[in-house]
Amino acid sequence: MTNHTVETATPTIRLVDVHKSFGSLTAVKAISLEIHRGEVVGLIGENGAGKSTLIKILTGIYQPDGGTIEVNGSEVKFRTPRDSVGAGIGVVHQEQSLFTNLTVAENIAMSNSSGSGTATRFGFLRWSNLYKSAEETLAIIGSKLNPKTRVGDLSFVDRQMVEIARAIRVRTSEGASPLVILDEPTSLLERGETQILEREIRKLKSFGSVIFVSHRLGEIMRICDRVIVMRNGEKVADRATSEVTEDELFKLMVGRESHSVVREHGALDRAETPALEVRSLSRKGHFSDLSLSVHPGRVTAILGTSGSGREEFCRAIFGAEKFDSGSLHINGVAAKNWRIHKAVKHGVAYVPSERKVEGMVGGFSAAENLTLVHPGTAAFGPFLRPWAQNKIAQGWFDTLDVRPNNVNQELDRFSGGNQQKVVLAKWLSNPNLRVLVLDHPLRGLDPGAAQTVNEQIKAACKNGTAVLLLADTLEEALEMGDDIVVMRDGVISGVYDVAIDDPSTLDLLEKMV
Amino acid sequence: MTSTIIATEPAVDITKQSRARLAHRAGKFWRAGGPAVIFVAMFLVVAILTPAFLGGGGFTIVASSAAPILLVALGQALVLNIGSIDLSNASITLLGAILLALTLGPLGAVSPLVVLLMVTLFGAVNGVIVAFAQVPSFALTLGTFGIFQAAALVVSGATTVYVSQNAGLITPLYTSAVAGIPLTFVLGVVAAALAWFMLRFTRVGQGMTAIGKNESGAIFSAVRTRKLKIVAYSLSGFMAGLAGITIIAQAGSASSTGLGSDLLLPGIAAAIFGGTSISGGVTNPLNVIFGALTVALVPIATAVIGIAAQAQNLVYGIIIILIVALTLTRSRNAIIK
Amino acid sequence: MDITLKAEHDPMTTDTTAIRLHEETNSRRLRFRGKGEPLALIGALIVLISIFSILNPRFATLVNLQNILSQASLPLIIGVGATFVILIGSIDLSVEGVMGAAGVVFVLLSANSRGGHDLGIWAWVAAIAIGIALGAANGLILTRIKLPSFIVTFGMWFIGLGIATILYGTDALPSLTNDALTTWVSHIAFLFPNVVWLAAALLIVATLVLRFTIFGRATLAIGNNEEIARSNGMPVNKYKVVIFIIAGGMSALAGILAAMQLGAVSNNVGSGYLFITIPAVVIGGTALSGGKGGMLQTALGVLLLTVLNNGLVLAGVSPDYQSALSGAILVAAIVAAAWSQRGRLRIAK
Repeated sequence: MTNHTVETATPTIRLVDVHKSFGSLTAVKAISLEIHRGEVVGLIGENGAGKSTLIKILTGIYQPDGGTIEVNGSEVKFRTPRDSVGAGIGVVHQEQSLFTNLTVAENIAMSNSSGSGTATRFGFLRWSNLYKSAEETLAIIGSKLNPKTRVGDLSFVDRQMVEIARAIRVRTSEGASPLVILDEPTSLLERGETQILEREIRKLKSFGSVIFVSHRLGEIMRICDRVIVMRNGEKVADRATSEVTEDELFKLMVGRESHSVVREHGALDRAETPALEVRSLSRKGHFSDLSLSVHPGRVTAILGTSGSGREEFCRAIFGAEKFDSGSLHINGVAAKNWRIHKAVKHGVAYVPSERKVEGMVGGFSAAENLTLVHPGTAAFGPFLRPWAQNKIAQGWFDTLDVRPNNVNQELDRFSGGNQQKVVLAKWLSNPNLRVLVLDHPLRGLDPGAAQTVNEQIKAACKNGTAVLLLADTLEEALEMGDDIVVMRDGVISGVYDVAIDDPSTLDLLEKMV
Repeated sequence: MTSTIIATEPAVDITKQSRARLAHRAGKFWRAGGPAVIFVAMFLVVAILTPAFLGGGGFTIVASSAAPILLVALGQALVLNIGSIDLSNASITLLGAILLALTLGPLGAVSPLVVLLMVTLFGAVNGVIVAFAQVPSFALTLGTFGIFQAAALVVSGATTVYVSQNAGLITPLYTSAVAGIPLTFVLGVVAAALAWFMLRFTRVGQGMTAIGKNESGAIFSAVRTRKLKIVAYSLSGFMAGLAGITIIAQAGSASSTGLGSDLLLPGIAAAIFGGTSISGGVTNPLNVIFGALTVALVPIATAVIGIAAQAQNLVYGIIIILIVALTLTRSRNAIIK
Repeated sequence: MDITLKAEHDPMTTDTTAIRLHEETNSRRLRFRGKGEPLALIGALIVLISIFSILNPRFATLVNLQNILSQASLPLIIGVGATFVILIGSIDLSVEGVMGAAGVVFVLLSANSRGGHDLGIWAWVAAIAIGIALGAANGLILTRIKLPSFIVTFGMWFIGLGIATILYGTDALPSLTNDALTTWVSHIAFLFPNVVWLAAALLIVATLVLRFTIFGRATLAIGNNEEIARSNGMPVNKYKVVIFIIAGGMSALAGILAAMQLGAVSNNVGSGYLFITIPAVVIGGTALSGGKGGMLQTALGVLLLTVLNNGLVLAGVSPDYQSALSGAILVAAIVAAAWSQRGRLRIAK
């Protein structure tokens, strides 16, 4: 779709031979690219391929070791994020970057480095003008949020809208054609919001250009004119989306063929004691009267929108949040005074969606993280045996192909996909694992790592573990789940046995909304 | 349209790599040995400038004044390691010393045990409130600091309490020495070694460090965070009590304004000089030994070298900033508050 | 991934139901948010005042009110600076050192019992300047050398104290000989002493700055999430230095006023003020983690502690118990504030 007239004009941004390394690791190798006004360019690559580093260079967080960056034909140097904002580059971050203690209006105005314009006079804020201009910006993207609301009181989806409003505000303040970088904006969004976002991106095309980072190849194909593929810090392809297929993109990204494993759904033996049995579990304001049971070796996928209460339900099973009434049985044993350490003792495991905050202790080495919960031979009573710890970790590193292959490296220095492998291994190393609760286990993972994680989940099932899965997408739920439970507004609205009922995506959607 | 890959010059890469590795190794060495190097360097400078310092038992003087600082600092380091702070521990020391002075006569050898039990409980109270009421430790221990301080004042009747009898049970700690090192300091070193072992080789210690590095991550890894916080604060109280014992050993008396009444700031300084991070998750009790020695050395050194007494505070302040600037581990993009 | 397109539902209407549910629960909490704590403080203040008025009739008099307010003035002035610092999640421990240095400089450069020069207004300038310099040093070491503020200001405490000690020297206590200076602080203008009006004016200015300037909003933003503030292109380091300069200047002003109140100065003129101010700021509800709180809360916190101390003295309680009582109140206040937010997953440092 990149037509001729666009090619000849001065590009909005041009990178020539940009490279960047950290110590011995070269994160970005000699990247050259151009993005023109009116273009939506997809940027894909596995975690650790150098996408985030490239974006951080574009936004002035990192300074490149060499190469040049041109904006609208003139060379620039981004020493700080401020320089990048000044050059008309706006970002919607993967992890939300809003000030929760300030109002919506202030958050939108913040991108505008000095916050000036009509919102201030003599250095003093004029709140009425600030609110008005925020309202206008929000109206462009069809949001009716009250600009006086504190962002901390907003739902996740609404916050994403504020993020987008903020990124496009770069345009209204800077005039010239802006570049909006959407860094995996959809990975945390629910179904409906993704569509709103796509509409937004098409609108952005009329006055600027967009770099769209995503792991979802379908989205990339639908939204983007052109796609740039990165692997190991290099640009391995730069193609028009009309000239490439999803499978080709996968191969370019990962360096091997895609092979999606279809799970065979086993028959259910109802006589067996369920590994997890929940009877009318309720928590006021979050979920009520939930009953379900998961048998060993089965996967139950729970679907629902962001307000459905499914996250809270899963955390209650792990003892991380309380429940008011109802009962919980693990392998037939009733859960009393349920806390995390008790849940863990009974063989419950939980992989949280907020990996960096809740899933791991980033400052600890991978080996320490791996043996923190179930040390096995790495502990002798209350004492630690560091040598045994490294041996256990090395075994998992080899099984899961964790890279770099250094068990003593701090976990927060691994890429997201490799971190998730370690987090999963931390729980899988429990020989008595009964119930595995997975809260968006593939969130933010590249396809390669996602495959490894899914294979491990399936292997755990084979060993008799019951899995409760909060899936990112309906396909993931249908691929992995033996049973599918749909939740809406805190109650169960539908239950399906995939092998018997064979629900369609439309059936599931109907129960969700 | 696959772009050609432009190879980077390998020569540049290699020098860069080896330099980075060298820097990494140097950093690692400095983190492990920095506090000791700083103390030894400062000590040597003093010894060279004033040779009489060594002859006059310089190290013994420094070690004996470092002993209570070390004990208080070890407790502080354990609390800092879980990402909290204990501003009350020095006032617990003083209260402990006063209680010991009051009870040593009537209770004899049982008295130190009773006092240690009490101070451990005081520490545990801090820990219970921090863990269960989930309040910021800085504010909480600032409050309990006031309470313990007032308790010390009231219990001592605002005067100096002398040990009436049985002083002989405690004083040998100060008067006897192993190779010129007073037993009070040896006590501190033993405590430091035990704390080091706990942090490196026990699950309790590992859990504490996990809390300091990422409390949420620790909670979701089934670390008993509340229990461990209480343990850390109890140990801080216990160490403070040991410091109180060394004070009685040295002075034979205690008062709310006497020896040991200003241990809080030196204790924090010693923990930090020993490489303990204010934000949690990083400490090495063995290095805190050198931190305490450095803190004790500064006022002695300024006096020995002949710097005017008036300039002591100034020198102290500058040295605090300098030493921390030298020893602090910093990652490039970390947020410093 | 094409399900979204196949679905015939309008995503806008469907998903907003969930959001609206969420927002409803939020708005219920919202009505009391930000008001609960100040209301509780005002309630506590009223209770204290009532009790003390019953215990001692001299408590509820104009003279005692003037007394309380002038006792509260210095902690309030320091508290204004401390609030800015705490709002960005930092802390300023150098208060007492800066007060000492500024107080000694001020007295020695004014007409005093040791003789020397009387620089008049320039004594003020010089004393404030030293506070600003120490504050700037705090801010620059924090942002350039990247030492935590706790340690920098801890060191600066001793540096300030050291400067004061050196300047003070070994001569006799220097006292101010100009009566105009010593009486200015307590001179009553429109019902209240000058120092009260000065503190009130600073409080109002600081409140306006926090609410109505980019700098003020940026202070809150930095405290909420510094990383985001930086990636938004905010000049975070510049703001931090300015905040520490404000704090240094406020401490210096407090040092001058303390010297004027006493009519004389020693290097320890600031002694005790740090451990009044920080509890007051915290009791007021400004979070040590940053991003939450404000000037008026600090004023309430200072008033509460001052009324308590004053009332206890008038009620005849031994001063020995005073630190225990303020300590207990601090503990009670923070426990009360945190109690409703307790949760299995909450982190408090």
